[in-house]
Amino acid sequence: MTTTAIKQTQVSSGSSVREISFDRILFVTGAWALALVWLLPLLYAVWTAIHPSAYETRFDLFAPLTLENFVEAWNAAPFARYFVNTILLVTMILSAQLVLCTLAGFAFARLEFPGKNLLFSLVLLQLMVMPDILIVRNYAAMSSLGLVDTILAIGLPYFASGFAIFLLRQTFKTIPKELDEAARIEGCTLLGLLWRVYVPLAKPTMLAFGLVSVSHHWNNFIWPLIITSSTETRPLTVGLSIFATTDSGIEWSIINAATLITSGPLLIGFLLFQRQFVQSFMRAGIK
Amino acid sequence: MKQILKSSSLCGAMLALSMSTALAVDLELYFPVAVGGDAANIIQEMTEQYMAENADVEINAIYTGSYADTTTRAITAARGGNPPHLAILSAVDVFMLQDEGLVEAWDSYLTKDELETWVGGFYDAFRANTYKVGKTWGIPFQRSTPVMYYNKDAFKAAGLDPEAPPSNWEELIEAGKKLTVRDDSDNVTQWGVRIPSSGFPYWPFQALAIANGAELMNEEGTETYFDQPAVIEALEFFVDLSKKHEIMAPGIVDWGATPRAFLDGETAMAITTTGNLTNIRTNATFDLGVAMLPKNKQYGVATGGGDFFLFKGHDEESTRAAIDFVKWATAPEQAATWSIATGYVAPRPDIWETEKMKEYVREAPGALVARNQLEHAVAEFSTYENARVRQILNDAIAAAIVGEKSAEQALKDAQSEADAVLKLYRQ
Repeated sequence: MTTTAIKQTQVSSGSSVREISFDRILFVTGAWALALVWLLPLLYAVWTAIHPSAYETRFDLFAPLTLENFVEAWNAAPFARYFVNTILLVTMILSAQLVLCTLAGFAFARLEFPGKNLLFSLVLLQLMVMPDILIVRNYAAMSSLGLVDTILAIGLPYFASGFAIFLLRQTFKTIPKELDEAARIEGCTLLGLLWRVYVPLAKPTMLAFGLVSVSHHWNNFIWPLIITSSTETRPLTVGLSIFATTDSGIEWSIINAATLITSGPLLIGFLLFQRQFVQSFMRAGIK
Repeated sequence: MKQILKSSSLCGAMLALSMSTALAVDLELYFPVAVGGDAANIIQEMTEQYMAENADVEINAIYTGSYADTTTRAITAARGGNPPHLAILSAVDVFMLQDEGLVEAWDSYLTKDELETWVGGFYDAFRANTYKVGKTWGIPFQRSTPVMYYNKDAFKAAGLDPEAPPSNWEELIEAGKKLTVRDDSDNVTQWGVRIPSSGFPYWPFQALAIANGAELMNEEGTETYFDQPAVIEALEFFVDLSKKHEIMAPGIVDWGATPRAFLDGETAMAITTTGNLTNIRTNATFDLGVAMLPKNKQYGVATGGGDFFLFKGHDEESTRAAIDFVKWATAPEQAATWSIATGYVAPRPDIWETEKMKEYVREAPGALVARNQLEHAVAEFSTYENARVRQILNDAIAAAIVGEKSAEQALKDAQSEADAVLKLYRQ
């Protein structure tokens, strides 16, 4: 591929054209290299998951295929229930975050009230604190609310996301005042204004934040492990951790089959809506 | 949203319901899973069987991730005013648990007779980690030691006696050289030996140090002896296996991949935990041998694994019920089932006398090696601030293996770092 590309550059005459195509070669090879590096673990996971464990570290194109790893992984933990729990959890967190943070972000962006800056800096402070440090306090709080071992308790500490408030406030600030004023002149109420003007224009940001939030809570492990005790409340990651058998050597085939099972829905979702996600990320400026 | 609230309140209602019908005692047990197989299911089955036999006790066995996760959860729950009654935690956490005031000694709840026959009935090597200042802080449950697995077919192919595995360091190097096979382009197709150095290298390293006649720490957990000549020699030996003798793969050798590498014939000998016995025994396509770790000045290994710990903050009745459960779980019949299913070493001599265990040993004679080795076993490396001090040692071992520092320099640095951490505990 590279050699033909170089030939092409030799054929082309103008120096500016040559530079551009050289740039292009760099970009394309770079992108491919990065994509391959990113893809390799996934390919390895697929390879080990569909072959018997004897082929974990040996590559043989004609190795026998099997789905047994998936069956074994699925039966090792109540994954069906865990799926329901995880989906409930991420939907609950995301809906609560969107409602609360949109309202808060709007207030910080467009309303005037006493103590606004102080409150906003408190919200920003939340971004600086590692959530793991708060585990003991959060547990005590959930315990005093009587919520230990509920799905609500896993989500509650994340509802008022400082990141989402900050992000939405910044987005709302970029929306032209003229639109706001025009809607007010037409007699729009404050909530109507938010719903009809601000929210539609902030959709890409919300979508981007939604992706970050869902994938984070889909993968969150230590807090759900600590606050829950029963199959009825535990998410997928806790089920997955049962395969981390460090003492006895890791069974890659089964752990990779389980990983594919648990991350599959997110991967498929992302591939289906890839274009929308990439666009909204570019607009929202989250990286 | 509404539905979710509903479902979680439903959960709450169900919980309340199950609590109102609760019987005399409700116990909570946190347990980690660190081996494959059905370890989690077996513990659940054990508690169910116990509840069937003891109608007045309700045990909620909660799977809590790895050892580290389980410790985090137990500390969090205890600080949050909701400690479990029992938790199976890594035996080396004993100083931390004591220091934090989370656990209590078992002694005051036991009669003199129980102390002698029950607590005293465990192998001393397994009690060593949690028997401190004359008190018993943990009851051994899922314990292990490292053993040496070897491929008898590879021994035959190299012209070695498959029934006489290397028993000292010199023989190990000699055999290792014969067992290291290179192809025409000088790439190694089979290494002589494999001692894992990722994750928790201090554990296999401690075995080497003990074999070399060294101790890594004192019993009080306040001193480390990293810079002693015998310890430095042990690390030099570890490093030389790949650097000088070229019988082990260079660089950091992964722990989790070791059983697979051994099963695939990438190495003729491998040192790893007895917890692997079931996995290796069932998947080996060659004639499998299991042996004690080779000695230098003496035989020696460190034990590993988890003990039952008794948490503070409960009334006497439930604490006593918790102790009764532990007594039942460590009784010969139950402990034999547990040991056979998981590969953990049965921690009491009377367990080995059961019919089940005798039959298992006939099938898997390798299991006996771990028991016989216990005679030479000592407490696993454990000090105050265990996680930090252990990491210092791990980093020193890694630095020496990748060649960043000499063994001597790495261990001297580690000793002064450990001193700085432990200074506080020495008054």
